[in-house]
Amino acid sequence: MAYFIIFLLYPALSALYYSFTDWDLRTDAAWVGLANYADLIFDDVKYPHFWKSVQVTLQYTLIAVPLTLGTALAQALLLNAIRRGSNVFRLLLFLPVVTAEAAVGAIWRWLYDPQYGLVNSFLGLFGIPGQNWLNTPELVIPALAFIAAWQCGISMIIYLAGLKGIPDSIREAAIIDGATPVQRFWRVVFPMLRPTTFYLLVTGVIAALQVFGLVYVIFSGGGGKSVTGGPEQSGLTYVLHLYLFAFRYDAMGAACAMSFILFVFIMIITALQFKFVKQEAS
Amino acid sequence: MRTSKKVRLTPIYVALVLLAAVSVVPFVWMLATSFKHGSDVYTKVPSLLPLDRKTGDWSPTLENYDHVLQVGGLGQAFLNSVWVCLVLVPAKLLIDALAAYSFARIPFPGRDKLFVLMLAGMMVPTITLLVPRIHVTQQLGMFDSGWGLIIPNVASVLDIFLLRQFFLSLPGELEEAARIDGAGRMQIFWRIILPLSKPVLAVVTITSFIFHWNDLVWPLVVLNDPELYTLPLALQQLASSESGRAYYIMAGAALAVVPVIVVLLIFQRRIMQGIAFTGLKS
Repeated sequence: MAYFIIFLLYPALSALYYSFTDWDLRTDAAWVGLANYADLIFDDVKYPHFWKSVQVTLQYTLIAVPLTLGTALAQALLLNAIRRGSNVFRLLLFLPVVTAEAAVGAIWRWLYDPQYGLVNSFLGLFGIPGQNWLNTPELVIPALAFIAAWQCGISMIIYLAGLKGIPDSIREAAIIDGATPVQRFWRVVFPMLRPTTFYLLVTGVIAALQVFGLVYVIFSGGGGKSVTGGPEQSGLTYVLHLYLFAFRYDAMGAACAMSFILFVFIMIITALQFKFVKQEAS
Repeated sequence: MRTSKKVRLTPIYVALVLLAAVSVVPFVWMLATSFKHGSDVYTKVPSLLPLDRKTGDWSPTLENYDHVLQVGGLGQAFLNSVWVCLVLVPAKLLIDALAAYSFARIPFPGRDKLFVLMLAGMMVPTITLLVPRIHVTQQLGMFDSGWGLIIPNVASVLDIFLLRQFFLSLPGELEEAARIDGAGRMQIFWRIILPLSKPVLAVVTITSFIFHWNDLVWPLVVLNDPELYTLPLALQQLASSESGRAYYIMAGAALAVVPVIVVLLIFQRRIMQGIAFTGLKS
């Protein structure tokens, strides 16, 4: 029990406390009230990239979450339609999930290599000119979102479980009624998967808002202060920004304030989503 | 009927093969690059096999692995990762199981409130807790040490929750019978509860292993000494210091990825189960 107080409860409360202070982890924290929050939100000289990181993160979430869920659902539907070999395919599609973020970042940096990368070679087969994916501000977020979709295996497994939970009798009834496969999907399967989709949406949004390891690996040129968040900060996600403040610029107070803003934001989103579910249930 | 079914399934299989290729090719590319001589890596036409760029002969090499293990420090990091997982995973299993057992079976004052509080703590994003947890680790004198890697991670609310639910499902009569036979609480725990819980313990063990083997964020913030680096951290360092030498980086990535893939192949069923429950702690 003491453990939870030390590593869970105390940190949670102290994060709140430190967010009101000016603190570098070594000296004593100095109380500054709401200054951190105010500076982050309004002072774009002191914190020039705060809003940029918010924007990057929201963009990433808006692209990555639907792409991931769509891919996962498609994979699950395909897997569910076959018998023979479904275990093998499931395993292959699942491989990216158990891969370390550090390795994922390293591998994709190599795949996206502008000159020798496999992605550009592949596009070249269709006559699409190669891109410098990770060095073109507009392409950074789509490139990251694609990696997220590549790693959709967890959602795929959960969708698959959802599909297995749909009784055969309903499916058969729809077939007897003469529904086409497309109609069956939209009228029967998809509505029955709604709770699953909702769960994946909530957890997916929460995870996407916190994306860090991957961008850290991809956009860290070296030690010191050289982590920039990609070309023109196009990959500077909120948590990467937070990390830089905390561990590169010794601005622990501001970092705690940022983490608390994120916390409140996540709480609001979660609450809204649950309210939405309740309405739907009633 | 038979043939029509076959025809109907063909596009599904084609789609699955394509999707599986997208998920697997990056790994093949990683392995291929890791076995290539430096001079054979940067070719106009990418080759998925380690071939000599001039003659086209089969010419794999282990040089890259040798280099990253010796010079790149990945040998040390590999051992560190193994060591951390060997200590952390069993310790965590024991502590989580004990905590879960007391939450499931030992009525103590305030138990349910405490449990709810713990679950509420799970809602707080990890990143919010990161800075204060580092501070606590520092104050306990565990910063930048193996203990700092292990102790703060040695209990997981999610795993306790999972184990508690399982323990609750075990019939209480077994315990009563044992108590009548004169068994003490710890005896019941060791002799009855744990043996009956093998499936769920296996799930917790495997998902914990994967999670901690891959974890980048906590080692990144808690460690300074490169001698202590775990594999993901050392790989991240390698990726930034050798960013021009994909063959070294891919050898490093293979070292991080292959052990987990082997575990996945052996325990696939349990892992899929575990993922469906825990979402790999995300």
